[in-house]
This record gives sequence, C-alpha cells and structure tokens, in this order.
Amino acid sequence: MTTTLNLRRQITDYGARIMATLATLFGLFWLVWILWTTVSNGLPALKWSLFTQMTPPPGADGGLLNAFVGSIIMSGLAVLIATPIGIAAGTYLAEYARNTRLGETIRFVNDILLSVPSIIIGLFVYELMVRQMGHFSAIAGAVALSFIVLPVVVRTTDEMLQLVPSSMRESALALGVPQWKVIRQVLYRASMAGIVTGVLLAFARISGETAPLLFTALNNQYWTTNLGEPMANVPVVIFQYAMSPYEFWHALAWAGAFVVTMLVLLLGLVSRALLLRKKVNV
Amino acid sequence: MINESISIFTAVAGNDTNSGKVIGPAKMTARNLNFYYGNFQALKNINLDLPEKSVTALIGPSGCGKSTLLRIFNRIYAIYPKQRATGEVLFNGENVIAPSYSINRLRSRIGMVFQKPVPFPMTIYDNVAYAIRHYEKLSRTDMDSRVEQALRDAALWDEAKDKLNQSALNFSGGQQQRLCIARAIALKPEVLLLDEPTSALDPIATAKIEQLIEDLKEKYTVLIVTHNMQQAARVSDYTGFIFHGELVEFGNTDDIFTNPAKQHTSDYITGRFG
Repeated sequence: MTTTLNLRRQITDYGARIMATLATLFGLFWLVWILWTTVSNGLPALKWSLFTQMTPPPGADGGLLNAFVGSIIMSGLAVLIATPIGIAAGTYLAEYARNTRLGETIRFVNDILLSVPSIIIGLFVYELMVRQMGHFSAIAGAVALSFIVLPVVVRTTDEMLQLVPSSMRESALALGVPQWKVIRQVLYRASMAGIVTGVLLAFARISGETAPLLFTALNNQYWTTNLGEPMANVPVVIFQYAMSPYEFWHALAWAGAFVVTMLVLLLGLVSRALLLRKKVNV
Repeated sequence: MINESISIFTAVAGNDTNSGKVIGPAKMTARNLNFYYGNFQALKNINLDLPEKSVTALIGPSGCGKSTLLRIFNRIYAIYPKQRATGEVLFNGENVIAPSYSINRLRSRIGMVFQKPVPFPMTIYDNVAYAIRHYEKLSRTDMDSRVEQALRDAALWDEAKDKLNQSALNFSGGQQQRLCIARAIALKPEVLLLDEPTSALDPIATAKIEQLIEDLKEKYTVLIVTHNMQQAARVSDYTGFIFHGELVEFGNTDDIFTNPAKQHTSDYITGRFG
C-alpha cells in the first residue's frame, strides 16, 4: 500500500520535473534563436563606418551615426526628465504614503502605466505635443520615452526603499534628524544600488522602443542635434530599413539591431553586478 | 492598583530591607500613561520614575509592553500613524508626549539603541558624526575629538581608530552595536534608551555591552528593556516588572529579585511562567 503510494508520488514528481524542464527549454529555444539571428546577421554587417557616417539614401554607402546620436540624446533626455520625478514619487509612496489607501491607489495606477502599450504613449504625446507644435520633434520623442521610464523608476524606488529595514529608519529618526534628511542621507544611500539599477533597466528598455518615436520624433535622414526638429533614432531606422527592398539597408538594420541588443545586454550585466555588490556589502 | 504598588515600593525602599539603596531623584517621570496600537490598549495607566544617573531595567514576558513603554520616552512610536499615547511623560518639568514638544529636540536629548545593530551605510566616522553635523557646526578638529570621545565612551575606540574611514558594515555584530551606542551618545543626550541591546549578540559581545552599561550610568540615565532576567539583575539598579500592559512592581533591583512584594513578580522571576 505504502509502496504503491510512494511509487505514484515518485512518478508524479518525475513527470512534473520533465514538464518544467521542457517548458524552460521551449522558452530558451526561441530566445537563443533570436539572439543567434541577430548576431549572425549583425556581426558581418558591423563596420567602422557604422559609427562615422550618416544614414545613406538608397544605393549609397553610409552608417548609422545620426541615428545612434539621436537615440542617445532622446533616451538620455528621457532618463533625465523621468528619474527625478520618479524617485520623488517612489519616495512619497514608500516613506510618506505607506499603508495608506491613497498610496495603494497611486501604486496601482503606476502599475497600469507600467504596462500601457507604448504605441498609446506615442499617440498621447502626439496629441499633447506634436499637434500643438505643428511638427515632429526630438523633444516630443524624449517626452514619450520618459513616460515609459517614469513608472519603472517609481516602482523600483518604492520597492528598494521598502526593502530598507524599518530599524534603520527608526535608528536615524531616533537621533532627532528630520525625516527628509534621513531619507536623503541614510535611506537613499542604503537603496542607491537598487534605484540606479532601475534607471539602467529603464534606459535599456527605451533604447529599443519604436512605437512612441514613430509619432513623435519621427526620423531624420540627416544629422541634427536640434531638439525642435525631427531626429534620427536607431529603432525607427531599423524599422524603415528592414522594410525596404535594398540589401545594403537590410545589412545596416541588422547592424543597428546587433548594437542595441549588445547595449541592452551590457546594461543588464552592469545592473546585475551593482545589485550583487550591494548584497555582499549588506 | 498601580499607585498602590508604587507606594509599597517607595516604602520598601525606604525601609532599606535588603539593598540599602534609596530611589534617587527622577530624571523622567511617566504619569497615568496609556498606549494604544489602533484600538488595542497595550499599556494601562503606567506610573514610573526613572532615577537619575542609574540603570533601570524593564522585565516581563514577551508582548507584555516593556518595549512599547521604552519607545514612548523618545516618541519613536510617532513614526507610525496608528500608534498613540495618552497621559504624561515629564522631562525637566515638561510633558514630552505633548504634540507641542519638538520631537527632534526630544530625540536629541534622549538617545536610543535598538535590538538589532543597524549601522548606516557610511564610514565608521560618519556614522558617529552624522547626527552631530545636523545639530552643530564644528571645525574638523572639534569634530574629530567629539567622534573620538563618543567612540571611547562606547569602548570602541581601540578597535575603530585605524578604521575610521572604512564602512561600518565590516564590523562584527557586537562592534556594530557599540557603534550604535557611540552614535547615540555622540549627541550628549541625558537619557539612553536600550531596547534589548544584546539579544542579537554572542555572550562575549554581551559581556562587553553590559560592562559598558555600568560605565554609562556615570554620565547618563539609562533605561534598558531585556528579556534576560540575569542581565537585568546584573546591570540594573532599579527594576520594573511589566505584565499585560501594567507595571506590576517597581523597586530596587535587589529587592525585586530577592524579595518581591507581588506574587506575580515572584512567579515570573522564579520561572513559573514567561
């Protein structure tokens, strides 16, 4: 009786293990395939001229310099806009509105913003800025991207501050230091690695966003650093070149995709290293 | 009932039954103190004097309210919106739990050390200097000597003097706890509240902290919460026994441990419950 029961349990356990392993392999399979396609097509297309020349017209030689610079400007600006607001809002949620109904509501709304399809953000900023200004512009692109960064930073700041043990909060407040100073000088220091990680991951996320830029920054075949003009950017260039009939444009699109993928990978590694170092310290 | 017990103990102390000690003048006084977590009343009508420049211990079983009582004296409970106290805690003649009494002024005069040592994520030097910087503008040399004095008073100077610019997180648990004591006394408070300061430490570190508490009472009035009765007997001059949110008995430590007046106290001390 017990042996049959034992056997049945062992078989169930074995079956569950096989199912879980297969599911993992299934997921990994596609991921590896995507990475392999990107590397095998992108690596041969990688040339030094990629970083020194502008996006070419059909039939001419060129690179992606203006698109890289445009992406860096707009993504950087988006992070600069959203990070201070996001950290302040996350601090409000974790330190001032903890366990309150208002705080829970804001957290819920922020989670919705976190999962809004990015094309809706693009349309929203199109209405908000592009229609008002009468033309596409880099600043509108940066604002659209900042709407994607914002909820990520709010969420990470909130979570990282909640992870700081309440005993540290109490110890600092027990010294008679006002709350805002305790937050700035003690709690931020304790949660810095986590918050920076959140910002890095948000940067990685927007570096590949296409939809919000299609309606806002559009694209630009030429070099510009003027925030009031349409600006070139890697994701939209990849989109246009990949859809084109020209072989050389295809190669450029693959090269751009490869570079963005490597950047995202690098940012992921850096943020992991940051978090790991924090664990060792505390 | 509480008032009655107080009068008994004053009488016991006055009779000099065992210890020959008389309860000294009070540094802080709790009068008709009640405390609530939401609707739950955790402390009932506490009346207690903390005698100046001596060590007072609060003992009692888990959940009796001894830590709750300690946490009223510097109003650290006020961080949490659903906790509130009624009654009076007098400190130099003023009621410190009145909302009009500045919470930061109170906490700069009443230091607190918690159960788990929590050094701030900064250097050892900055941990001690942190709160001083908030209150006083000191020159570099003055600050250096203040930090050194605090570390000496916390019996940590010899171990810390070569590592002042290292992270405090590299210290052992016992060292971290003495650093927390140094951090609290760096502000030159008048009262020190210790909330089970050794419960997370090994016996050797505990012995060091207990020795330190002996030394601290020369300068400070110390209130310590402990679940370790031997520790209360070793380090304190006065002991209060708390049970179910009431101060059952208060008096000289020797009297409480050798000749308690209440059956409850006697049962707890002899290990019949708790």
